[in-house]
Formats: sequence, C-alpha cells, structure tokens
Amino acid sequence: MSRPPETALAVEALLRELGPQLRRGGLPDESLPRFPTGIDAVDRLLGGGFPRGQLSELTGTATSGRTSLALALLARSTAAGEVCAVVDAADGFDPLAAESAGVTLARVLWARAPDLQSALRSTSRLLEAEGFGLVLLNLASAGLRLPPALGTRLSRAAAGTHTALVVLGLARAEGASSALVLEMRAARAHFTGTPCLLEALEVEAHLVRQRSGPADRCTRLRLQACEAA
Amino acid sequence: MRVACCRVPDLPLAAELRAHPELAGKPLAVASGPGPRAELVAVSEQAAARGVRRLNSVAHARTLCAELQVCVASPALERAARQALLDAALSVSPRAALAQLTSGSFAAEGCVFADATGVETLFRSEHGFATALAERARRLGLPAAVALASSRSPAQLAARRLGVGEVLVLAPDQERDFLARLPLDLLDPDDGVAETLTRFGVRSVKELLALPRRALGTRLGPRVLELVALARGEAQDPPLPSPAASRLVEAADLEYSVDQLEPLGFVLQGLLSRLVARLEARRLACASLSLTLELDAGGRDARRVGLAAPTRDLRVLMRLLLRALEARPPGAAVLAAALEAEGKPLRQGQLDLFRPAGPAAAELGRTLAELQALCGEERIGSPHCVDDHRPHLFGMQNFDPEKSRSFAPERPGNVPPTLATRALRPPVAAEVRVQAGLPSRVRSAVANGAVLHVAGPWRTTGGWWSPERRFAFDYFDVQTSDGTLSRLRFDHTRRCWDVDAVYD
Repeated sequence: MSRPPETALAVEALLRELGPQLRRGGLPDESLPRFPTGIDAVDRLLGGGFPRGQLSELTGTATSGRTSLALALLARSTAAGEVCAVVDAADGFDPLAAESAGVTLARVLWARAPDLQSALRSTSRLLEAEGFGLVLLNLASAGLRLPPALGTRLSRAAAGTHTALVVLGLARAEGASSALVLEMRAARAHFTGTPCLLEALEVEAHLVRQRSGPADRCTRLRLQACEAA
Repeated sequence: MRVACCRVPDLPLAAELRAHPELAGKPLAVASGPGPRAELVAVSEQAAARGVRRLNSVAHARTLCAELQVCVASPALERAARQALLDAALSVSPRAALAQLTSGSFAAEGCVFADATGVETLFRSEHGFATALAERARRLGLPAAVALASSRSPAQLAARRLGVGEVLVLAPDQERDFLARLPLDLLDPDDGVAETLTRFGVRSVKELLALPRRALGTRLGPRVLELVALARGEAQDPPLPSPAASRLVEAADLEYSVDQLEPLGFVLQGLLSRLVARLEARRLACASLSLTLELDAGGRDARRVGLAAPTRDLRVLMRLLLRALEARPPGAAVLAAALEAEGKPLRQGQLDLFRPAGPAAAELGRTLAELQALCGEERIGSPHCVDDHRPHLFGMQNFDPEKSRSFAPERPGNVPPTLATRALRPPVAAEVRVQAGLPSRVRSAVANGAVLHVAGPWRTTGGWWSPERRFAFDYFDVQTSDGTLSRLRFDHTRRCWDVDAVYD
C-alpha cells in the first residue's frame, strides 16, 4: 500500500525527531542467528534455517512431511554438537526413525509428557535451563493445540536464550507469537518397482509467516523412504 | 596429629529442636515415653528456669510449668541428629568419626571427632577451623561447642568444659596444664572408681595425677589406670576413618498415626528439608530416595524413587515423593517414616573447545529432576534403539550429553532428506478389507478410504518359544484415498489389524 507523499514525509520527520531508539516494525537491525535444517531448499526458503531465541511453528496434517523435516533439523543440530530436547506431548517420536535420519540420540533429551500442561511446563523449564540448542515441542496430534497466551509466554521465555523453539503441530496456533510459520503439505507419494515399494514422498514447504523477512513463498521437497535412501 | 571434637551437650533435646524448630525458646522437655508417669530425660533452659529437672515425672513437671511442651524421646530422631553431626564434621574435614556412646553422666551428649591436621591452609588458623565446624553444626540445627587438641580425649574433655557455641584451641604444650585443672567428673569415671576416689578426697585431675600410678593400679585396678591415661592425654586413639558410604537417613517416629497423604506430606517435607541440608553440607546431591513407612497394621511399606539426575532441589524431590505416594498410597495409617538418600557428587561440567556449550551440569540435573516430576519416572531420558528382533522396541537411559563427545559423521550434502515415521502409541485399531491377500480398504482413526497404493507384506516373527513374547506381524505401506501414508500391520497372534505408524 502506497502512502500519500505528505504522510510519508511526516513519518520520516517524526522518525528523525524521535531518534534511533525508534525503528520500523519488521526490519530488525541485525539478522537473527539461524539453525539450518541441512536441506538446502528449506534453508534457502527460511533465510538460513529456524531462528534461535524465537518460537517457530512447523505445521501440517498427517503425511505432510513435518516429522521428517523436524528430524532433519534434529540430526543437523546434534551433528553440530548441540544438546537438544524433544518434548513429546503426542508421544510420536520414533527413536528408530530418528536414528535412521541421522540423529545422535545420546544428545537428545526425550520428555514424554503425559498431557499438554506438563508438556508446556517442561518446555518452559527447558528454556529456563539455557544451553539447549533446540527444543522441539511435539503437539502433532488431534486435540493438542498451543494456547495463545502460553504461546506468547513460551515465545518470551525463548527470547532471552540461544534456543530455537520449534512447535510441531497440526495447524497454526492462534495469536501471532511465532517468529516463523512453515506449513508442510503433502504432494505425491511414489510407489515403484515389482514388488511394489514405497520410494519417496513429495511434499511442499510453504513459508506462511516470517517476522524478519519475506514470507508467502514455497519450495518442493522429495523425502526418500529409508530402504531407498 | 590434631583433632577437633564437636560436642552437642544434650542430644535428645537438640534432636527434638532440630525436628521442631518452632519450639525453640519455649519451655520444652523430652520424656522417656508417653503418659504422665514417664520420666523426663532432657529439659530445655527455659524449662529448667521454671524448676523442671531431669528425672521429674511429666505430671510433676506440668505442675511446675503449665506451658511446658513435652515430646516423647525418639531414637530415630536422635540417630539422625548424630549422623547430621557427622555430616557437619565431614563438611570441613575428609576424616571424621562419631564418639562412642557412653552410659555415664554424659550419656546424653553427642560428640564427633574431625581430623584437623593441616587445616590452616584452608581455614587460616585452627581457631578458624573450629569456628567453621561449630557454624556447620549450627546450620544443621545442632548448636555445639568445639575444642581442638592433639588427640581425641583431651579435645572431648575440653569440649565438655565449653558452653554451646564456644570454641577452644589447645596448643600441645598447654594441654597437660589445662587437663590438670579439670574436675574429675569430666573424665566420666564409673560409679565404683568415682566413689573410691571421692573417699580418698580426690576431686580434680591434678589431684589424681599427683598420686603414684603403680600404687593406684595395684589398689584400684586397671580402670583407674585408664582414667589416669585419659587425664594425661595418653589414650591410644585409632586413626580417624574416611567414610566412603554416602547414604543419609532421616527418620521420625510419629506420636499419632497418620492415615492421610496431606499430613504425611508435612512430615516428609520436614524429613526431606533436613536431608537436603545435610546433603548440601557434604556437597552432595540426591541420586535416589528410599521411603520406608511403618504401618499401623504391623506391616512396612517401602518404595524407591529414582531420579533422572542427582539433585538437591527440595521442591522437586518433594513433588517426586508425593507423586510416588499418590500413585500407590500406603495400605494403612503410618506410625513412623524413614527417608534414605543416596548422595552423589553433583555433575561436573567440562567445556568443550569445539562444541557449543550445553546446559550447565548442575542446572541440567535440576531440570531433569523437575521434568521427571512433571512427566513421570522412566518417561525422561535419552532414547536408544535396542538390539532386538521385536519391532520398534526402544530403551531409555539417563541423559548425559557429556558421554557422547565424539562427532557424528557429517552427512554428505547431496543426500536427500529421509522420510520418517511418526509412531502411534498404542497402535490404532483398523478395519481392513482384504482382496487377493492385500488391503483394499481401510477404516481407522488415522487413515480412511480406499487403498490407492500398497507395498508389502513384510513379515516379522519371533519369540516363538514363549507365549508371552511371541509375535508375528505382516507390515504394509499403504496410501489411502484421504492422502494418508501409513504403516498398516496384521497381528497374526491376535488376528487383528492396526496402524502403528504414519509416514510424516
């Protein structure tokens, strides 16, 4: 939306008058440190990866590839020597799949929270502890949703740390507490050969929101099934 | 060698005040048992000021002091107080031992000896060491006097001369003079020897030492020679040990049986706070807790609370204890409770030159314990794959990122990302229509519709030698018309279908 020239001039004058403590929204002075996923297409889309000290959301329905992307992020983080945590309210973390994806399990703390409240409190405690490079909060199950107030609180708790907080969910949480929302969508499954084998799953990663950069872009990924990979 | 003696003059009273600090400053007496006829075994200063004396009956004492608080002597509390005294000594010295219990006029005292050789480097002076020891004991709820000498006996005799909170350091050349000035009663002679010496007119150590040793031995026997050796500071003491065991116990006998969790929680809170103070004094953290409850019905309820990491966070430990009790409440009213902690040093962190700094070791321990309290035992840890034929079996081990210091091999950049599964625990039951041995339609809570693509079956069997461990599954990778890509399996042992994972 373009502003009338006199309004733009008035805004510029006001900015000059108020000094350097005031800056335009959405344009931070320096780029946030990022956590790469190790998948070039996704890292390019996100401008380097998931931001540290921020809450990010990785959403999608079943078979959308969000778990595969989360495990890729976890694998890359543990390979870089980071200590990571998975708070699993959905109890869906599969250690065998994680190991196949390259995750160093010894550097992953897995908290199998029995309910949403315990999961949120565990996440908050992990952020307080500081030193965890990545905290993955798995809410990818029906009935689990990040409440807006608690999302804001978690976002604030992450802000003072170097931890990238990634919430895995079915749909985007209400409220605007997350710095980044990446929505995954299933595209096509590939079954090939005789006998028939699951070869790969094509998915689409759609950057719905990004606080510190352009959004509404997408990329396509091919996730290779274990036997074929 | 230099030895410090830390002495609590009236241990039964100190043990009660340690357990009930709210009674400090009030007229208090400890009775030998319940009921008005029980004798008082210890009396506080405030009660003594009102005329209450040891060996008075409870009923008599109440006539002297109407507001007198009377506690029944608890051997469990006294044992714990004695061990706490040892912990105070071990907090300042690596070698310490409790004094042997006596049955004479000093039966109520609690003494601990601590090795004080070469302590000047740490505490600047021997006086500084003695002051620190008295302070540690006070912090553990045991106000004490500390004396330091060349061996145990002179140190203990000197401590008996001191008031609570006082400190005395005896130089080696002063010891003999100091001991000579002491009254004979401080040596705690047995009744026969004491009576004979009193008849002789011997009332002080100096007068005893003036008598010919051999003649004393001939006339009064070997016991008096032991007394003379004690008075000369010649008693042979074994070296002080360095205790390896770090199992700390706090216990309490309840005056009334407790049959509800809330009041029991208050009792446990007290035990735990004293236990944590002792752990803190010894710079240890609690690695596991064992709770033993004596029940009214005559039985015993014992349970162990394991911790994901050593911690001494009182709030977290209390939450874990309560969670364990709520999960399985005691079967009858509780008469006594004992809490045992296994002490372990707190995790020491080692920073890495090439890796990002993880959470600080002590903070990680606290976090793990708190997460365990939130999520439950065995639901916190580091996952690992188990070498077993049973499908999707995994184990949990204590989370210790320091153990995995080796770098994982970097994945080449051109390797495509892997398609992972999301586990469904427990597997979701499914109704499956089969055509030509393959699923053709699926109805379940996660995948529904006609089967568009199917791969499989892959059969996994094992455990055939045991009916409990036997398993036989046929696995299928299935894409249904609702777009879900799932792992469907047929259980041959139960003859049913379910979905155990979703490709995601």
